Amino acid sequence: MDPMKAQQLAAELEVEMMADMYNRMTSACHKKCVPPHYKEAELSKGEAVCLDRCVAKYLDLHERLGRKLTELSVQDEEVMRKAAAGTG
Amino acid sequence: MGALPSPRKTQEEKMIERGMESCAFKSLIACVGGFVLGGAFGVFTAGIDSNVGLDPKDPLRTPTAREVLRDMGQRGMSYAKNFAIVGAMFSCTECIIESHRGKSDWKNAVYSGCVTGGAIGFRAGLKAGVLGCGGFAAFSAAIEYYLR
Repeated sequence: MDPMKAQQLAAELEVEMMADMYNRMTSACHKKCVPPHYKEAELSKGEAVCLDRCVAKYLDLHERLGRKLTELSVQDEEVMRKAAAGTG
Repeated sequence: MGALPSPRKTQEEKMIERGMESCAFKSLIACVGGFVLGGAFGVFTAGIDSNVGLDPKDPLRTPTAREVLRDMGQRGMSYAKNFAIVGAMFSCTECIIESHRGKSDWKNAVYSGCVTGGAIGFRAGLKAGVLGCGGFAAFSAAIEYYLR
């Protein structure tokens, strides 16, 4: 495939992935940190602290899982390549 | 990214907001508020009290207006300092406990009431500390129930 097109596709996928991650993170942290019964419009201190921690954990998790996934997929690729080179 | 377009906050606005939400600022506000309230309460109590200004060496002499006023001021100042300290302690511990738990409900006030009451009562011994903890915690719980 054309490298420019591949790059463009990769960039589009990245943007979509980021947007999806943002939406999931917002909904998960909202469910965890903000109790459904609203008494006032502003975030209280406890909720703000909880949201900070939730976002930090989510991003940390996302980064670690992404790294582990690329590691595993690189290993898989090597195995497949060796198998292809062996049979071919 | 984000939901609806809203005007971006400047750096100063963010810093001011962060300062106003900090535990130190909240306890400072509680301290000053407690001081004012304690002063008013002390002066009011001195107004009702019949022993204001009475000279302990000569209790039969009626005190002069200046003596009465000075005694009222002293009593007001003493109440003001006590209320300021209690208010600052309660607000500080409540803010710290709330930051630690990450939740905002009635239990924060009860825990910090126990800590404050316990700290105040502890100077007079362990049993007084436990009693102070229980009493202040119950008082805080009642106030929280009324407010929520």
